[in-house]
Amino acid sequence: MVWLGTIINGVLLGGLYGLFGVGLALVFGVTRIVNIMHGEFIALSAFIALGISMLFPNAHPLLLLVPVVVVSFGLGFALQALLVNRAMRLPDPVAPLLLTFGLSVIVRNLMVEAFGVNPRSIRQGDFAQLSIDVFGISIGVLPLVTLALAVVLFLVLQFVLRRTEIGRIVRATADNSETVRLMGVRPASVYNIVMGLSFALAGVAGLMLALRTTFTPFSGVERLLISFEVVVMGGLGSFWGAMLGGIALGVAQLVGLRLNPNSGFLYGNLVFFAFVMLRPNGLFGSRL
Amino acid sequence: MLLEVTSLDAFYGDLQALHQVSINVDGGESVALVGANGAGKTTFLKCVSGLIAQKRGAIAFAGIDIVHAPAEAITRLGIALTPEGRMLFPSLNVEENLQMGGLNRRHGHWNLQRIYQLFPLLAQRRLQMPNTLSGGEQGLVAIGRALMANPRLLLCDEISLGLAPVAVDLIYASLAAIRSEGTAIVLVEQDVKRASSASDRVYCLLEGKVTMQGASRDLDAGELTRAYFGT
Repeated sequence: MVWLGTIINGVLLGGLYGLFGVGLALVFGVTRIVNIMHGEFIALSAFIALGISMLFPNAHPLLLLVPVVVVSFGLGFALQALLVNRAMRLPDPVAPLLLTFGLSVIVRNLMVEAFGVNPRSIRQGDFAQLSIDVFGISIGVLPLVTLALAVVLFLVLQFVLRRTEIGRIVRATADNSETVRLMGVRPASVYNIVMGLSFALAGVAGLMLALRTTFTPFSGVERLLISFEVVVMGGLGSFWGAMLGGIALGVAQLVGLRLNPNSGFLYGNLVFFAFVMLRPNGLFGSRL
Repeated sequence: MLLEVTSLDAFYGDLQALHQVSINVDGGESVALVGANGAGKTTFLKCVSGLIAQKRGAIAFAGIDIVHAPAEAITRLGIALTPEGRMLFPSLNVEENLQMGGLNRRHGHWNLQRIYQLFPLLAQRRLQMPNTLSGGEQGLVAIGRALMANPRLLLCDEISLGLAPVAVDLIYASLAAIRSEGTAIVLVEQDVKRASSASDRVYCLLEGKVTMQGASRDLDAGELTRAYFGT
């Protein structure tokens, strides 16, 4: 029973990890940029959520989602429009990667300057402590909501990409950014929206992280590794793969912690390592 | 005059690909552009559709100067290109590929239904992915996608390349239907016979220069050979 509870909680944690990875997968799938800054998206979003929660101390924590998503979408959009698109125009394909690497260092240290390095958390009511009892297994409401939210977001994202005109444009731009210009599409505008979406998804992940645990400006770096592992396990550019990858990592981590409370993320990394050896193309090698 | 290109130079970096090229196309006219590999035919089409920015000279479309306009803007004026190699979007099914062509929201004769009437084969294949189609069918999708933009000028870059003769016949038959709607066509071809039988006038390019032009019906074979090979 204890083990079953561990596995269930691991699956729920996987929802959060899936959210970490999906924004990274989206940007890579469309722009072919490996966004080193994705971890900082998550940490910065947590601080944005903290700031907004101070403005509205009595609001339900899930209501914070709306402003956090709006602000992070705007930041992602602006980042792409002002900086990344310029780097993408350079002949050197490594330029965008270096740009996001440099920005991640800058943003991290700006966060240290602004917020300090003490662990912070969002304490909004007792929502984060609620749990329900299912056949003697205690399941946290917040992790449950996180997984549900991740599933809903993945479904919405899938629907938008598969069934709407903007989704068609995004897929076509990912396929061939020169040919879409012949149809009147400006690829840079598509990238702006995609980076905004990626940051918004990281914003949801950042808020859920901030509600669940304490965070510092360095929380993003640790999550970047998880994001990468999730994306690689899922198959680059595959959303459901990212979700399953996240769940595998979540279960491995919690089972590992039960075997050895000092193991940290070791077992997650071991599962990732074994996975890459056995299935280097990921669960689904498909694109978008 | 629908398209009036005067003294066009085009560059890839330091390499000059077109030298003082002047080509005109009248409304509803069909013009063939022939020449060997590397003569500059594709470069010319890419210049007119706005995909090549490094150029100088004059390009007027329906009296509007478009030499510095980007491709995104030029499509809205009514120029559509079926690019070399067809360049269908592999992640989009046939119908979605066609819908991409209609993004510029120009109104006119062509819509999904009319495309399916012109190419009934595509109606059967509408939910298939491009890589499951034959080369000829892919060619039809590429033409259909360009038509969805309701262009006044359709640029076709080697639409028959690598296709079976039956498929080429089908594609050239459709060009006649397209012209009957008043659309002007610029046809890039290596097959001179094909090109001249489907066009009103022919230009021959060699090493980025126009070496010959004339009406398709009274082409002199010997003169064309010299213009084509530069002998």
